[in-house]
Amino acid sequence: MNALTVRGLTKSFSTPVINNLNLTIAPGEIYALLGPNGAGKTTTLRMIAGLLKPDAGTIDIFNTSILTHPQEAKAMLAWLPDEPLLYDKLSALEYLEFVAGLWRIPPAIAAARAETLLETLGLWQQRHQRCENFSRGMKQKTILAGALIHAPRLLILDEPLTGLDAAAARLVKTLLQAQAAEGAAIIITTHILDTAERLATRIGILSGGTLLAEGSLAELQAKASRGADATLEDIFLHLTTNV
Amino acid sequence: MFKPASFAWLFAHELKLLWRNSILLRTSQHVLIPVILVAVLFQATALGIADILRGQSLSLPVLILIANVNLIFLGGLMLSRSLSLAVDVLYSRGDADFLLASPIPPSRILAVRMLGVAASTGAPWLLLAGVMANALAVFGHPAALTGYLAVGLAAILAATAAFFLVVFITARLPPATARRISQSLALIMGLIIFAAGQMPRFLPHQMVKNIYLTFLPTPTNITQPIWLPARAALGQPLPLTGAILITIAFFMIVLSIRAKSFATGMISAAALSHRIPASTGTGQFRDNPFAAATLKNLRLIIRFPGLITQTIYRSLTLVPALIILSGRTSVHGSPAIAIPLLVFLTGQLALFFVSIIIGGEQAPDLLASSPAGMSTGKQAAYAAAGYATFIVMAIPIFGVLLSQPGRLSALLAGMAGVAASNLILGEKYPIPLYRADFGKTRIGTIFGLIIGVAISSIWGLATWLLVAPNPWAPLG
Repeated sequence: MNALTVRGLTKSFSTPVINNLNLTIAPGEIYALLGPNGAGKTTTLRMIAGLLKPDAGTIDIFNTSILTHPQEAKAMLAWLPDEPLLYDKLSALEYLEFVAGLWRIPPAIAAARAETLLETLGLWQQRHQRCENFSRGMKQKTILAGALIHAPRLLILDEPLTGLDAAAARLVKTLLQAQAAEGAAIIITTHILDTAERLATRIGILSGGTLLAEGSLAELQAKASRGADATLEDIFLHLTTNV
Repeated sequence: MFKPASFAWLFAHELKLLWRNSILLRTSQHVLIPVILVAVLFQATALGIADILRGQSLSLPVLILIANVNLIFLGGLMLSRSLSLAVDVLYSRGDADFLLASPIPPSRILAVRMLGVAASTGAPWLLLAGVMANALAVFGHPAALTGYLAVGLAAILAATAAFFLVVFITARLPPATARRISQSLALIMGLIIFAAGQMPRFLPHQMVKNIYLTFLPTPTNITQPIWLPARAALGQPLPLTGAILITIAFFMIVLSIRAKSFATGMISAAALSHRIPASTGTGQFRDNPFAAATLKNLRLIIRFPGLITQTIYRSLTLVPALIILSGRTSVHGSPAIAIPLLVFLTGQLALFFVSIIIGGEQAPDLLASSPAGMSTGKQAAYAAAGYATFIVMAIPIFGVLLSQPGRLSALLAGMAGVAASNLILGEKYPIPLYRADFGKTRIGTIFGLIIGVAISSIWGLATWLLVAPNPWAPLG
């Protein structure tokens, strides 16, 4: 069973944004969706998270359609947008209380998970501080804790490493790899191609709403007719700008 | 190398920001149409009044007394409003670091901010006084157009005095205390002026007449400085020149002695949010989306900046209504008048609290991407705002229970109706509020504000009809 199955996904605003997109992600897989600005990455992720209705196509999360059974599908996923979904006036712990409540996590389990996550992410000492006093990196880590507190089976992450320092970025990457090792599927967008190259098991390159290429780094090197020395950056630029 | 922005450029920029941030512009454009219609109506009314007035022959001392009394009240109300706006400038604009890091001298920033506040405060009064001045000019009194200048000078004086006070307070007290005291000062000033304006209603007619006669200027004392504002407003050249010079002098003095404190005050006010003490507790996890969202909303309400002052302000705005109505207690039955006012207050508070929640909703996608139904967010907003309203109104309800138990059911029915109506309204059209302390945009519409007052009034009136022994007796 696929963690995510997208078939014939199409979306237009005034102009076409996503054009007949097909995508599958298996449990335990980290899938990096790359593309230049305006390629349609965020629109794709918002449709997968059930925040935007597609014009055509289907989106199934562990065989549950998010279009016809949104509540059941949403119970299995976590969505992290590029702008932190945080409340300035709540503390980190209060934020986790709110998120755990939305996903109906039993209080004892939620409290234990909150403590583990906040300690892992280095936020335990600041758990009672309001988020308005947090740096961008601390905010990013707080929403990541919020995303993980309900143990999602599919993580949808839009630029999760933005604003993080090197240590925090490594911590987040380690955490994501641990989630994948436990069977969670992860779809991630990033402009940091090195990260995608090291973190992702599969990479998709989107441009103009169309998936240009998809596969492991070796498969992409072959598809782009580039040698084994070619970096993901070389392939990305070749496919998206013909450089 | 670039030169720092000139005063004129900075002032034009300030006016542009004020215009774009004005309630009218933040609301949809169609609000401008009723405003223009109201202005036309006002001008027509002013022409009618001016037509009546030209048949009256008032002596110069009487005119001067009337003008002076009006200018004092106008100045007091302007000072109250300016104090409130000066607090906003220091605490809510969120551009302190940006401006003070630029090569623009702090005195220029302060000058522009003072004039900006004067423009905001003076604009509505200029419109009101302006229609009357226009009408009098049409009927052969062109000197009345000096009224524009008089209102403008009063606004500048009020803004300058307000900044003098607020910067003085901010320089001497911790930022949070300074903000609270300055806001309270603005509120108290406004209420005192209004209450003073209502005093003649409660004094015997002869006493009022005697007071006026005592203060009526005589040919010997009419040149004293106390009558300068009125004589300036009536267009006498020398007093008018004097008023302009005094205003400029006061403005320049405050600018020279307060610019440094203003810069320090802006920085300390901007740093306020970073000194909020951390909360404590071990966490209140719930496996219920409604309970979790309601708790989150209650926290947003409790932590809203200015919650206490704005709640008190909304409560105290009923004091003038109580004063006016209490003059007719013998007709309406004294305790009964409290019931519709409490219903009105309930409506205003419900609208205020639900607007805080909607304005403080910074993560709507979080709820939307969760398995909790979309209606959960709405229901939790109603529950939290309704609960907060009930907490504030609990003591008045208890008071009615003790003093007039027979009217309690009408009160509770009115409160429930108005709260439900305004919660639904506020969820859709929240009133304009600051979304957070610093650097955040406002949300909300004047439409919500107007309709909210109308709904509160209708429910108040409906309750009045239920409880008043003689509801149709004239109020005047």
